[in-house]
Amino acid sequence: MASGEKRVEIEKELSFGPVHPALIEPYRIRLFVNDEIVEDCELNINMAYRGIEKLFDGLPVERALLIAERVCGICSHVHAWNAVRVIEGGLKIEVPDRANYIRVITHEMQRIASHLILFGHAFEVVGHETFAMRSFLLRESFMDLISYVGGNRVMPSVPIVGGVRPRADLTESLKRVILERVDEFEEKYKAYVTRIIEDPLVMSRLTGIGFLTKEDAIKFHATGPTGRASGWDYDLRTKMDEYKPFDFNVVTDESCDTKARIVVRALEIFESLKIIRQAVKNLPDGPVVNRSWKPGEMDFTTALLETYRGELMHSYALDSQGKIRNYKIRTPTPTNLAAMEHACVGDHVTEAILTIASCDPCLTCCTRAEVVDSGKSFVLSDLEIVRKYGWRK
Amino acid sequence: MENVLFFIPGLIASSMVAAAIAVLYSLVLPGIERKVQARIQQRIGPPILTPGFWSVLKFGYKKPVEPNAQMPGLYRSLVYFGIGIVVLLFLFTTPYWWAVLGWGSILGIAGLLKLEEVLYVLMGSQSQSFLSAGMPVPDLAKGSKHVEKRREYVEQHSAERALKMMAIGSLPLYVALLVPFAMARSTMIRSVVAMQNPAYALSSEWWSAALPSNPVLFTFPGILAAIVYFVGYVMLLNEKPFSILKAKIDVIEGGVLEYASKLRACYYIMRNVLLFALSSIFVTLFIGIPFDPFMPAMMLLNMALSLLLPVMLSVLVAFSPILTFRQIYPAAIGLSAVGTLALIISLGV
Repeated sequence: MASGEKRVEIEKELSFGPVHPALIEPYRIRLFVNDEIVEDCELNINMAYRGIEKLFDGLPVERALLIAERVCGICSHVHAWNAVRVIEGGLKIEVPDRANYIRVITHEMQRIASHLILFGHAFEVVGHETFAMRSFLLRESFMDLISYVGGNRVMPSVPIVGGVRPRADLTESLKRVILERVDEFEEKYKAYVTRIIEDPLVMSRLTGIGFLTKEDAIKFHATGPTGRASGWDYDLRTKMDEYKPFDFNVVTDESCDTKARIVVRALEIFESLKIIRQAVKNLPDGPVVNRSWKPGEMDFTTALLETYRGELMHSYALDSQGKIRNYKIRTPTPTNLAAMEHACVGDHVTEAILTIASCDPCLTCCTRAEVVDSGKSFVLSDLEIVRKYGWRK
Repeated sequence: MENVLFFIPGLIASSMVAAAIAVLYSLVLPGIERKVQARIQQRIGPPILTPGFWSVLKFGYKKPVEPNAQMPGLYRSLVYFGIGIVVLLFLFTTPYWWAVLGWGSILGIAGLLKLEEVLYVLMGSQSQSFLSAGMPVPDLAKGSKHVEKRREYVEQHSAERALKMMAIGSLPLYVALLVPFAMARSTMIRSVVAMQNPAYALSSEWWSAALPSNPVLFTFPGILAAIVYFVGYVMLLNEKPFSILKAKIDVIEGGVLEYASKLRACYYIMRNVLLFALSSIFVTLFIGIPFDPFMPAMMLLNMALSLLLPVMLSVLVAFSPILTFRQIYPAAIGLSAVGTLALIISLGV
């Protein structure tokens, strides 16, 4: 041991999951604790291997899009959108402005719904059922709006290659409904946020725990609101062409604790409302889809998108028949895992789980064939998968 | 009561009537609690009888499941002990028991409450559900920095928390309990009631409803003590914000996790009777209206006023997060200080 390095004595291990009533997904948290204080943490995923990347192989792009949307039930639009952005980038397909606006509107609506799910889950973990239920009640406004736009609450299937589905085009009356609902929501949401901020008991649970400094956030590749809550001013939307017409702020917080991660998301919802208003009011005229493209050979192409939890990567190639090859997806959660493990050290056991929840993990989505071990990323072979998951036989 | 030959049958009859009414009435209280919470949360909530009465009946008919406890027999028996303790706790505060061996005193109440707290430690240390260390997971040694550490069941962690709550969490309740006794300058419940409600002590008609003339609740130390009693009541019932020993997010249900079917029904009875018993004790000691099974008007008054604490509890639960020991320790110390202040003032009154 190097001189000055703190020796940590660990008294016992407490493990939660993969079957646990409070974990909404099958993963395992191993907390190494002294009395109530967490000295080290391990998050074990890969409990529900779905092999979804393998399903894409050999499919035509249009069919693959339907699977892409089903990678996640909360971020469905973002997976569908990023999947088409890959081919649009690779084959240089022009997307009409009106389609881009509608994609952005759906994206921001789902961001609001996603952040409200996090509040619901976080307040369940805090033990405040009223705030949790209120969050789900507020979320209903945007679930309705998503279904008005796409025809479905969870899988709206708005983007297609070259634009959006014609059924997702916004009529004048729908634009009016969206603006009215946004105003109504904002009023209720402000009251909700104010009540949270003014509740001393809730604030005492959120403040001063789960510290993740900016240096650590960068070191552990924390992405999305998790990184921004550590003062890291990084939002991919500022670099995306689709977001250039819109005026919005990147919300950051220097407090670096669990409260900051909740506050950043709470304020991001106001920015999303701002974007939705701008997009609806300034929606350009014109077609919503460009159908003048032909599937053909495409080199391995990557598209990055700022989702609700952080940076999302989709990449694949097309063979000479236009069929998908080597589909790879990296959701934000794998890059946030190390940050979560680090942030909960020093917390009480009950707080550690709140810290992990505040990073908004979506663990089943990140469970595919790629694992991160000791800082090296590698893809498992079939044999390794059988060895690793042999117990499932 | 001078005549033992009349006293013993009276004691038995009184106890049977009081226990039966207490158990049946307590089965309605969870429904009221849930309804209040639901209305606060803009939900309809379950029917009043479902969470208490029907769920107990339903669990009574479920197929028994053997707990994986270290000593299953002991673990099973703890819940029956619990029912015995809470029923006795309630009976000791009914008038017929006030004359029995000094059990109708602060010592009887505090002793039984302490026993009730010890039960949670015993339950937690016995229970070993498969939801934590018992779960067969394949990844124990894969890349872990810590492979040979003692793995603890979540229920055992809950037992450690129960021990901490025993040491400090329940202190406010006991301090608050002392205040009415200090004001009456006696350790006996009889004296506390007589001080507040002299009409009751003199009343001989079974139909009369003697109302208190000088309730402890309406004095300054009484108000302070009542506030502290209420928070202590929440702590003793392990309800939010002090439900750390059964926090769903980590230790799930704590030591009672493995109670299923009939045992779960018994656990619900134990918890519900405790909820009612503590409320009834509050009405007896702070308002001066005891639960007298042979004076229906007094009994109904006691039962009606006993709704006060569960309803307040529901409101608190709806608006509270679960606090951790970071907040519980200062809260318990602060409340104990307020209780002690009330006690000092009450000694001077």
